[in-house]
Amino acid sequence: MDDLEFERLLKTTRLKLDDIERAAIQKDIEEVIGYFEKIGEIDTEGEEKAYHPIKVDARLREDSVSKFADVDMLKRQTKLHDGYIIGPKL
Amino acid sequence: MKSYIKEFLEVEKPKDYYGSLVAEIEEKNREQHFITTLNSNIASEDKGRLPFTVKANICVKGFETTAGSKMLKGYLPPFDATVVERMRSSGNFSFLGETNMDEFGFGTFGLNTEIPARNAFNSNYVAGGSSAGAAVATAMLKYHIAIAESTGGSISTPAALNGVVGFTPTYGTVSRYGLIDYANSLDKIGVIARSAADARIGFDAIKGRDAYDTTCSIEKIGNSGKKKLFIIKELMDKAEKPVSSSFEKLLDRLGERYEIEEIESGIIEKAIAPYYIIAMAEASTNLAKYNGYKYGMQYGETNKRYNNFFTEARGDFGSEAKRRIILGTFIRSESVRDRYYAKATQVRSMVIKEMQKILKEGFIISPALPIFTPKIEDAVKLTPTQNYAMDVFTVPPNFGGFPHITFPYDYYDGMPLGAQLVTEHANDYALFDFVSGWEESFDYRFKYNLGEL
Amino acid sequence: MKIGLEVHVALPTKSKLFCSCSMEESEYPNLNICPICMGFPGSKPMLNETAVKSALGIANALHCDVNRKISFVRKVYFYPDLPKCYQITQMDDSIGREGYLELENKKIRIRRVQIEEDPAQIVRQGMLTLLDFNRSGTPLVEIVTEPDINTEEELREFIANLRSILYYLGVDINREMKADLNISLAETRVEVKNVTGIKSLIEATRFEVERQSEAIKNNEKIERETRGYNEKSRVTESMREKETDEEYGYIYESDLGTFDISEMEYVEPVYITNVSDELARGSGVNPKTIKEITMLNRDALAMIYKFKEKYSMKSILHGIQRFEKYSNKSMKTEDAVKIERIIRLVDEGKDISREAAEKIIAGEEVNIQYSNVTKMEIEALIEKFVAENPGILEEYKRNKKTINLIIKEISYKNNMHPKDVSDAANAVLNRIS
Repeated sequence: MDDLEFERLLKTTRLKLDDIERAAIQKDIEEVIGYFEKIGEIDTEGEEKAYHPIKVDARLREDSVSKFADVDMLKRQTKLHDGYIIGPKL
Repeated sequence: MKSYIKEFLEVEKPKDYYGSLVAEIEEKNREQHFITTLNSNIASEDKGRLPFTVKANICVKGFETTAGSKMLKGYLPPFDATVVERMRSSGNFSFLGETNMDEFGFGTFGLNTEIPARNAFNSNYVAGGSSAGAAVATAMLKYHIAIAESTGGSISTPAALNGVVGFTPTYGTVSRYGLIDYANSLDKIGVIARSAADARIGFDAIKGRDAYDTTCSIEKIGNSGKKKLFIIKELMDKAEKPVSSSFEKLLDRLGERYEIEEIESGIIEKAIAPYYIIAMAEASTNLAKYNGYKYGMQYGETNKRYNNFFTEARGDFGSEAKRRIILGTFIRSESVRDRYYAKATQVRSMVIKEMQKILKEGFIISPALPIFTPKIEDAVKLTPTQNYAMDVFTVPPNFGGFPHITFPYDYYDGMPLGAQLVTEHANDYALFDFVSGWEESFDYRFKYNLGEL
Repeated sequence: MKIGLEVHVALPTKSKLFCSCSMEESEYPNLNICPICMGFPGSKPMLNETAVKSALGIANALHCDVNRKISFVRKVYFYPDLPKCYQITQMDDSIGREGYLELENKKIRIRRVQIEEDPAQIVRQGMLTLLDFNRSGTPLVEIVTEPDINTEEELREFIANLRSILYYLGVDINREMKADLNISLAETRVEVKNVTGIKSLIEATRFEVERQSEAIKNNEKIERETRGYNEKSRVTESMREKETDEEYGYIYESDLGTFDISEMEYVEPVYITNVSDELARGSGVNPKTIKEITMLNRDALAMIYKFKEKYSMKSILHGIQRFEKYSNKSMKTEDAVKIERIIRLVDEGKDISREAAEKIIAGEEVNIQYSNVTKMEIEALIEKFVAENPGILEEYKRNKKTINLIIKEISYKNNMHPKDVSDAANAVLNRIS
């Protein structure tokens, strides 16, 4: 993986690394991607994609309203202003 | 059948049983670091119920739940995970605390967190991960059950290294609502206990459909016994001494009751790479939400522009988490997604099909790990791919969502060795019966029995 | 010019897309919230059945190849209003694919109809970014067209027809319609993001077309970029580059499954252009008149069906128009008695004055009886009126429409049938002018 691609990934993931961590992680990532390349050898022609290990019997939720009991607990772990949650600057 | 749970529930407890238990745990925890959050109120709440712990990635209302991450420091979930609610409402269990783990479940040995848990038999050795604290707690507390979680081997590995029974159910039998996600299509909540009978009691308390988790949809769980045990040759070739030689002895003993057959692996031995591809791709999306506001770690500098704010706040992830976020994000990139992610989902189909064919005929049995329990100082030196190689036996059943159980089968140098048994989807009960049978002729050893009556 | 649209519309549900929080408007911020719509660790989505049904009706109405199995994907990007920092949306297994919407002279192809969740609302207060999660998790449908729209008229017609289709499916597009546009005059495609409301959509298009034509005229290069529409200054402005698909890194949403909706029932569409053509056939009225009255008024359509055997189509439309003009509102079913009074009078060939209409709207019975007079008597009255208003003849010579003033004056004052007065007035004025 070249530096440019690594930089793009850091930007995309909103991560920054100091020089030591960066050197270590970049090297590890090279190693792991090399390892992942092995699946290229497997012939998967015509195989279905398994997004789950089992067949999920997915059901829909009936459209009815219920109020969450502890709304305050959702809000009191962060900074508030007039009932709004304060987020980072745009 | 040995059941510590039944024994405990039937017996009169001394007056301040729970108070002294909490004190004992606090003391031992200074050495072993298996508990991250302790419910010291248990004494006032309990009405003779058995203490249970949950892995620190399972939400307990009002108790700090961090999933082993600095990013979630101080997070007080505003709700109970479904499994917690079910344990409590069963009437038999009472919440004791949360157990230590690798950050977000990222690890084989339990070392990827600020203060790692230590092996219950010898604190110089790894506890195994990622449900490290759950296995250590089970090995240390006589009357207790641990709710743990496995993505790729996080129940089997620590259970085996601490000489306890670790059960990972079929994907989709236990609700993940309230589980802090690692990889949504792989995460399974299971049980670690001191006997197969106890693991079964725990499983019965938490299983069953839940409207809050769409993927938890399996209702019928069977018990179809098998007469055959399969050994997969290519995987067994990876096992080193003394594991390989001890395991031979186990097969000799089991050979008296089961027909043992060695088979070739085909696609199964190739499961590790596609497993990690899917796990990391999913993990990199799950970890996007940790940004230093709303809950958990509060970065606070809201006057910073959001991209800067996020980047600064996300500096609190550990190295392994950062590595997996970057790798997972790379794998998902439009230009390579088909090559890695899409292909890995196809390989998963192939692995499932092949394993299904084998498991119809019999169980698959193997050691839980290919090596003997490493010392902490040695384990930290392993490179990522050396680490992944430790998952050779645990990844295939986890990748395919097959139920599996680990149990102690030998002791070497005073440390336990664990074997792993795998069966078909939704045939989970057959595993308990097999291990209960084993327990009739083999006594498990424990170094500690905290809370003994 | 090629325009493609991505239109986002809120679906009519009681609860949110993935949780049971209420969709009712709330006076205070962060009231209708829970761990799911705030993306708290450990929470999982539960898909709302009504949202799927509603979106399926839309996909079907847009002639989509309606997928019988649907699934969702995660679209990852970092923004303060996005609770999980990924949005649950749809791609390949979306609720609808490859449909079209018919305009008078062409079809606009629909690439995809997809269900997705709305993020939280951002309120900017000074330097503060304030977040209200009441909106987070609102079920949306996104309708993605191919770049088949070539003129502003087509854009208007597309929006009008889409709005009518959605209206008859019970989806109110005016509640909050947000759209992304892509416009290319030459080779380069420019995206305009987050345009809110129909008016802004037209304005943004107009601005962008002018901006690009100007650039082409001056031989300037058009950048391939994403722009935002500024409602205040009515211009599009270059935005800092957003993520591309490479960064979004879509993967399957494995907290949900693949839903089989082959048995699901949905509301059949009403194509108002076809309905209007059908109703107008042989009635002598312009189908466009019917379309105008009914495209966003199901009560009006119901009334037309109800009365169409009893009265002429012309009278029915006239009656409804009169009612709407003088009551200054769209008619509702509850106005049926009043409107029928108007229609009946019109059908009898009577003219409805403002006074009469207002009385009927106020709930009174109005009986229009014309005086029994001869043609001679009417002509005499007109001659008298012209004599008393000397300027009027000159006025008539300049503008023939002045005759209407005379007709109104004479017929209302003397309670005479306007048609008779009109005949007489024409005869008199022809004679004396």
